Amino acid sequence: MEVFVVSLLNGLVYGMLLFMLASGLTLILSMMGVLNFAHASAYMLGAYFAFTISQHIGFWPALVIAPLLCGLIGAAIEMWGLRRVHRNGHVAELLFTFGLALIIEKVVQMTWGLLPVPYRIPELLDFPLFTIYGTHFPAYRAFMLLVSALMFGAIWLGLTRTRIGLIIQAALTHPEMASALGHNVPRIFTLVFAAGTALAGLAGVIGGNYQVTEPAMAFTMGPIVFVVVVFGGLGSLTGCFIASILMGLIQTFAVVFDVSLADLLARFGFVVTKETPFAEVLTVTLPRIGALLPFLMMVLILVFRPRGLMGTRDT
Amino acid sequence: MSAFRRHWIWLLALAVLLAFPFLFYDWTKGRHSGFVLTLMSEIGVMAIFALSYNMLMGQAGLLSFGHAVLFGLGAYCAAHVVNLVKAGTIWLPTELVPLAGGLGGMFFGYVLGWLVTKQRATAFAMITMGLGELVSAAALMFMGFFGGEGGISIDRVMDTSLLGVAYTSPWQVYCLVLAWAFIAAALMQLQTQTPLGRIANATRDNFERAQFVGYDPRMVRLLQFTLSGFFAGVGGGLYVLIYEIVTFDTVSAAKSANALLAVYIGGAGGFFGPILGTIVVVLLQSGVSLLSNAWLLYVGVLFIVMVMYAPGGLIGLIFMHAPIWRIGRLRELTVPYLKALPAALLILAGFVMLVELASFTTIGAAQGKKLAIAGAVIDTGSPLPWLVAAGALGLGILWMRFAARGFRARWDALIEDARRQGVMS
Amino acid sequence: MSAPAIELRQVRKSFGQTEIIRGVDLVIPRGERHAIIGPNGAGKTTLFNLISGRFPITSGTIAVNGRSTAGLAPQEINRLGLSRSFQITSIFPRMTVFENLRCGLLWSQGYRYSFWHLLGRQKTLNRAAEALLERLKLGDRRNLPAGLLSYAEQRALEIGITIAGGADIILLDEPTAGMSHSETESAVALIRSVSEGKTLLMVEHDMSVVFGLADRITVLVYGEVIASDAPAAIRGNAAVQEAYLGTVAA
Repeated sequence: MEVFVVSLLNGLVYGMLLFMLASGLTLILSMMGVLNFAHASAYMLGAYFAFTISQHIGFWPALVIAPLLCGLIGAAIEMWGLRRVHRNGHVAELLFTFGLALIIEKVVQMTWGLLPVPYRIPELLDFPLFTIYGTHFPAYRAFMLLVSALMFGAIWLGLTRTRIGLIIQAALTHPEMASALGHNVPRIFTLVFAAGTALAGLAGVIGGNYQVTEPAMAFTMGPIVFVVVVFGGLGSLTGCFIASILMGLIQTFAVVFDVSLADLLARFGFVVTKETPFAEVLTVTLPRIGALLPFLMMVLILVFRPRGLMGTRDT
Repeated sequence: MSAFRRHWIWLLALAVLLAFPFLFYDWTKGRHSGFVLTLMSEIGVMAIFALSYNMLMGQAGLLSFGHAVLFGLGAYCAAHVVNLVKAGTIWLPTELVPLAGGLGGMFFGYVLGWLVTKQRATAFAMITMGLGELVSAAALMFMGFFGGEGGISIDRVMDTSLLGVAYTSPWQVYCLVLAWAFIAAALMQLQTQTPLGRIANATRDNFERAQFVGYDPRMVRLLQFTLSGFFAGVGGGLYVLIYEIVTFDTVSAAKSANALLAVYIGGAGGFFGPILGTIVVVLLQSGVSLLSNAWLLYVGVLFIVMVMYAPGGLIGLIFMHAPIWRIGRLRELTVPYLKALPAALLILAGFVMLVELASFTTIGAAQGKKLAIAGAVIDTGSPLPWLVAAGALGLGILWMRFAARGFRARWDALIEDARRQGVMS
Repeated sequence: MSAPAIELRQVRKSFGQTEIIRGVDLVIPRGERHAIIGPNGAGKTTLFNLISGRFPITSGTIAVNGRSTAGLAPQEINRLGLSRSFQITSIFPRMTVFENLRCGLLWSQGYRYSFWHLLGRQKTLNRAAEALLERLKLGDRRNLPAGLLSYAEQRALEIGITIAGGADIILLDEPTAGMSHSETESAVALIRSVSEGKTLLMVEHDMSVVFGLADRITVLVYGEVIASDAPAAIRGNAAVQEAYLGTVAA
């Protein structure tokens, strides 16, 4: 039971972090059709910026400045890069962001080195908030939950209460309609791309010290974010939210439950031995395939329900 | 005789490829340069891989992020077959090991293809990416088939050669690679001229129309994917023979990305584009990665430049000259090109210098390396080299802008003439 | 043997809450040239999409050459002998004109998914494609990528792809839309010649084309058939006058 509650909380924290990353990507993918491989790179940049800024002026300014920097970079990429590449089709756009991801990783390595940087959580939040069943729950994780919840609220308000938000909502489900209505689509694209990148940057700021800030963090996070977006479904932020939380919970719980298919079969009186066909597959335990689960889910959902959980159209 | 006239280019290529390693032959010791042979064998294998990827991307419009899965699984199959032959369980000539890889790739192409070809476009890209991650994770996890992190090792010397060749030297392996590369390339080229090959083009262009002329696009994708798996597997089989080991990175996302890079940089769709792209990518990887820490950065920049300025790839750039060549005035571009050349070199030099300076101040310093040009050690901390590099880059860009204007004027005039003479299609 | 070419019984189709096709009954005997007319939004193209299997029907039955098409994919309906064109030109833009036509021929010539026949060596197939090319008067465009053809040429090519497979039922969706007067004339001549001895079902807005070509005309208004008769009778039909032709005349 205690494992359950702690894992639930940790899963929520991780899920909200994923959502911050995935929400921007969902917006970009649904509206612009761009599979943005550089999205997780913005997450990494956010973490590194925050590391440097917090060394000089502290964590709290970094919380604001780093995402803004990321947003500016995003706007620049969209205006001077993507818009030009757009003419050459979706594959070109995707490869453009792929090239960007390579460059950003290398630039990060060249600026901050190959090893992880000591980006630590601020002292103010470095204490256990409460203790359940003998396990401490760090205050920083609560803070992460708070920030992401606030962000979620802000996005929701922005999308439902402002004019531009309503246009974005319309463009989410019917991208071709927005331009037909005569809105300044390029500017909206720039805005969405910048906002999405800034969100990813913010996720980096609060996630970088929760996980590890290292040059490979973009390439480990990237595919998982894609999984969340596909799983949630194109054009649906709600779907994206549910998928994020689900993915967070699955990944957290997978680490906890030390069971395998063989254990399951044993319950039905079927004993797996070394001689059983596929014994290796059957005896592998859940924690070991934890990292594999998201991709398994992605493949399954694309085969059986290509529009994702709540998508408005096929991926 | 007519057969010779039509196929002379293949024979010429074969002759050149056989002769090329002798440029690096060490006559004093009487042996080939192992590095060059391995590099060229790698190019051969990767060219098969890239061409098989082009069967999906260029021919059928399917963007796969997990093509290495077919390559790697083919390689694992071939490795197991070799070990079985060594153990005496089965008999198979060394020359046919790549075929075993091909059949393995084809089998997995059909099985996995059955899952992934339900989708097309973005969903196809995503599902192949998921599958790629899944298989590479599984490769690290399961010992039986994949051998875990250590992979599967083989000994390619198995005394079953049909030609009586031992395959102890890289030269012998290189000849085998070359033979298979030509067979595979020829077969893939022929496949584009079959009903399936053409209908794959049709589903790429307009899958709905293909349905209404009687074809099931899913079936077309599945068969194309399966055949592509066969050729990728042949590549995997050769890979095993060259390196005598197969590990999880043959199925990894990085390997898949290589195929994508090669095909796109070379130019998708055609036949020579992917081969050209493979040469560029392998040389960049093997050559530049030896010289520079920052080779991935160069690849990334090259990629972005290509996507932005040459979406048709290198082959597209070459073919842009076709109308001018056809009116016989290609020579008039020589001077404009020569004028732009120093500018391009300046930009390249300045950019490379800047990147290397930056790379050596951080990564190089951490590894205790020093930047040296022609033996002279350069202090990356002093401002002078930085200024020189930035100056070269800036000057190069200004010069390029100036040269580009003249070039464009000349180019446009020539194209206009070509159009007037009706050689533009 | 005398099963009609196309038979619709109480066909209905809804998109979400809106019912676009509201119980259509339509029987088209073999060899008839049949035109469907009606105001914009009447559901003409939707009806085409239902018959050709592009969308599934909500209720009712459709039979092609006496076989129910329930649950069949578009390519399977095509193999029953029904071929269609599209309102928005639908060709293979990056392939040459000749390749376009050859693709249209492949299935009917029994090549299926073959990857062991070399197309260059298939004499009968290539002759058929060449003949079709001449018939469409696109001979001098043979090796041009289809995407570079003029609009009227693309429309002709589309008809060519549609009839290439030798289907005995041909559905043409606004074949002359957007054409000039002279282009329309040659398109009509082409349609007349390719539909010789076959069943033709077409949606068309140009009344001169409709009355010149059709043996029978069906008038569709808001997803319902209000009349289905010979051209002369349609011209005299009061309900049609009011619902459709009247608005044109006015």
